[in-house]
Amino acid sequence: MVDDADARSGADAAHLEGCSECQARMKVVSDDASSIAALLAVPEVHVDVDAAFQRVMQQPRSQPALVRFPILRPATRPTFALVAAVVAAAVVIVAFTFSGFFFKPTTVKTVPVTVADVQALSQLADYGTITWSKEPQLQATTSAADASSVAGGLQPPKVSQLPAGVSTNVTYGAMSEAVATFTFSAEKAAAAAARHGKTPPPMPAGMDGATLTITVGPAVGEVYGDLNRPSSDASTINLPQLIVARSAAPTAKATGVTVKDLESYILAQPGITPELKKAVSAIGDPSTTLLIPVPIEYATSTQVTVQGVDGVALGDNTGVGSAVVWVKGGSVYVVAGSIKQSDAINIANNLK
Amino acid sequence: MQLGARRMTSIRSEDAAFEALFTAEYARVVGIANRVLADPHEAEDVAQDVFIDFHRLHSASADYAPAWLHRAAAHASLNRLRGARRRLKREVAQAVQEGEHTLDPQQQLEVNEDRRHVRQALARLAPRPAAALALRASGLSYAEVSQALGVGIGQVGTLLRRAEAALRKEVTRGTSN
Repeated sequence: MVDDADARSGADAAHLEGCSECQARMKVVSDDASSIAALLAVPEVHVDVDAAFQRVMQQPRSQPALVRFPILRPATRPTFALVAAVVAAAVVIVAFTFSGFFFKPTTVKTVPVTVADVQALSQLADYGTITWSKEPQLQATTSAADASSVAGGLQPPKVSQLPAGVSTNVTYGAMSEAVATFTFSAEKAAAAAARHGKTPPPMPAGMDGATLTITVGPAVGEVYGDLNRPSSDASTINLPQLIVARSAAPTAKATGVTVKDLESYILAQPGITPELKKAVSAIGDPSTTLLIPVPIEYATSTQVTVQGVDGVALGDNTGVGSAVVWVKGGSVYVVAGSIKQSDAINIANNLK
Repeated sequence: MQLGARRMTSIRSEDAAFEALFTAEYARVVGIANRVLADPHEAEDVAQDVFIDFHRLHSASADYAPAWLHRAAAHASLNRLRGARRRLKREVAQAVQEGEHTLDPQQQLEVNEDRRHVRQALARLAPRPAAALALRASGLSYAEVSQALGVGIGQVGTLLRRAEAALRKEVTRGTSN
């Protein structure tokens, strides 16, 4: 109540009016505050707001994230980067390795990947051009019905009981169906490999100009956590505590190239480890299996039964993080969060 | 199509909201950073980083937006100040400002030296009192300081008094060394 008019009100103000002792104390405190203000004084800065706005908008990273996760502690950032890398690798593996005549997964399996594999696979994106014939639209909504309408009627799964400690604040997210076509180019592949100082294996006959059309989504899900709480520090981000999502199983169609050729070409890339090659070769029917890349240095995975089908559980029971993924009825389901693996499996089994 | 149009409208309104937020708060966010760093160029750097972080992760129409920006500006500039403590002498010495040209070189030197001592002292304070001082000195009301730091408005006065005492002590310690 000392040096701010807003803070001086009601009984305090009335008392101050008639109490000389308080007035004297008030003066001391006020003088102290002004002397500190003088110590911290700096000349006023003249800013060009318009120019600054233009500079900020030119930064690519200032574009809003498609999905906003307001808060993530610094310690969890490597994990987050890792998750991003794994997702990228998953897309690449799905896109390139198992895209014979028609890829439509009905089950999930894990394959071990290392950082080297992820790097080698991510370079494959430079071996051609991607064109979107249907761009994904992402939207966060406050109601399940809105999310469902964005996702073409796909209903978000319902969690019947949240584990203790998970916030009941829920945000829905939805993605419309997206279709992208990747066109292989021998010229781009050679140029990309040359940039990295590597020699790629020769492209099989007919692969130059071959296309791969990938359809993902629609997807819908819900995020539990206090996402809109301001962070305690500018450099922190709140990780959602629980994510439950359902997506139409991705599909891929290829023209001009056989699944066998494509598989051998991908696995012959420099940097792919023998472990990954072996695991991929051991997959029974590549056109019906969704592969989940698991970074062998960081995560463990186990085969589990969820809702009567085979699923994959990642993480452990420490509560740091775990996820369960399964495919049922043409949809891929994911339950993930900073919860115990046993809780994740329990949520998965009781999902409605 | 309808959904696409709705999405576009939501993108446009989000952009417009961000621009309005930027226009309303940029000068103040720079002011907070400059209060801590006593370097207008670095303060603008910090402010732009703060807005970029905000835009990437939050909705500009969120009611906590100004409070988030103020706190982020205070913490980000204090972090920079702590990291740059060794470089501080040089930086503050360079920060001769418009409006100070009336000072003669000797006075200017003294002003710079005082400013350097105060920033060194500020860098030694705990984050919350340091942020409270920077925000209040930048002209934020008690209510705004309370929102930015997530403390009750009734605690702001006490927090500031303690912070002022701590800063005074640090400044004295710094000059007597």
